Amino acid sequence: MADVWTDRLSEYLDDELTPAARAALESHLAACPECAATLSELRAVVERARRLPGRPPAADLWPGIETRLAGPRLARSAGPARDVRPARRFAFTAPQLVAAGLALMVMSGGGTWVLLHGGRATSMPPVAASDPAREPARLVNAGVADQRYDEAIADLQQALESGRSQMDPTTIAVLEANLKAIDAAIEQSQRALAQDQENVYLNNHLADARQRKLALLRRATALAGGKT
Amino acid sequence: MEAFALRSPADSVPAAEPIPDVARAAAGDVRAFEDLYRTHLPRVHALVRRMTGGREADEITQDVFVRAWQKLGTFRGDASFSTWLHRLAVNVVIERFRTEQARRARMHDGEEIFETLSAPPQTRDIGIDFEAALEKLPDGAREIFVLHDVEGYKHHEIASLLEISPGTSKAQLHRARMMLRRHLT
Ligand SMILES: [Zn+2]
Repeated sequence: MADVWTDRLSEYLDDELTPAARAALESHLAACPECAATLSELRAVVERARRLPGRPPAADLWPGIETRLAGPRLARSAGPARDVRPARRFAFTAPQLVAAGLALMVMSGGGTWVLLHGGRATSMPPVAASDPAREPARLVNAGVADQRYDEAIADLQQALESGRSQMDPTTIAVLEANLKAIDAAIEQSQRALAQDQENVYLNNHLADARQRKLALLRRATALAGGKT
Repeated sequence: MEAFALRSPADSVPAAEPIPDVARAAAGDVRAFEDLYRTHLPRVHALVRRMTGGREADEITQDVFVRAWQKLGTFRGDASFSTWLHRLAVNVVIERFRTEQARRARMHDGEEIFETLSAPPQTRDIGIDFEAALEKLPDGAREIFVLHDVEGYKHHEIASLLEISPGTSKAQLHRARMMLRRHLT
């Protein structure tokens, strides 16, 4: 039957016991098959909880939600009231950026890249020129000043172009697909920001996309130049 | 190996996180928000259903998404959207049931249910599966189990959300697990 240790098993499982209590419980576990069995059942419960699937409701709840979206939205720190009219959709589709990120992350052994989505571009995409007229009024956490950013991108693009012949074609294809996705994200953020300049999320999103482009180009250039 | 030079957190986009939809929805695009709704509905609805034991889960889920729409402008993108949305859902559920009865009192409800559901294997109702057993747990134990083991909250977070002590949270979690281990099939 349950002993004094049974009620400590969850804490043990969650690593919340003091070292002394932990050691004592471990020596008890070695001698008490019941506690050992209970522990493994509890562990199975925790595992099961982690794997519990999502499940949609029987009815579509969207119509009921959509009719309620016209109400006031919580204002951000400052600025005019938010326009809640449905904005036009942007051409860029969500999965592209995600797919691009995955393409970068997933590689098979031996340094070979796995191309996760199409995009057989044959030339390097043009760097999205930074048009000052379309830049947001304020960049939150941009990290890189606009002009320095543009220069760095141009330098890297040039270095990459000269090292291009030494690169594996698959690598180039992945690189180009990623650059395209990042450029699309940058452009999309800039378009959205034109309508909502102080949106913190959009500003961060833009800054993040630009940083990623820079980081990607830096590494790609190193890769092109460092290949023996 | 050169290729691995490209594999760095700086380049990674959180997997399966539809960032552009969030950006568009934050800018007022209802259709983008609908995409977010469709993507996140199964997990949010399951969370609400488990937290509430099934009561008013549809209605509360709708409240969650309406609230998310209202608050999207305050989403800063420093956590994943899914984490942000789940935390919002938890708050909506807790507010909903923070009614006349003090939550502390609810922690002590349902002793008989524990007795029934914790019964040894030979007498248990084999028809009760894990989700059904979870639904039958007393409110407090069920909420704590869902928050800790399903949603990954820490005891101190749960304690402050539910206005209980961390010790109560730990004890209720253990009771919930002890009961649920009988319904793992
Ligand atoms: Zn024992």
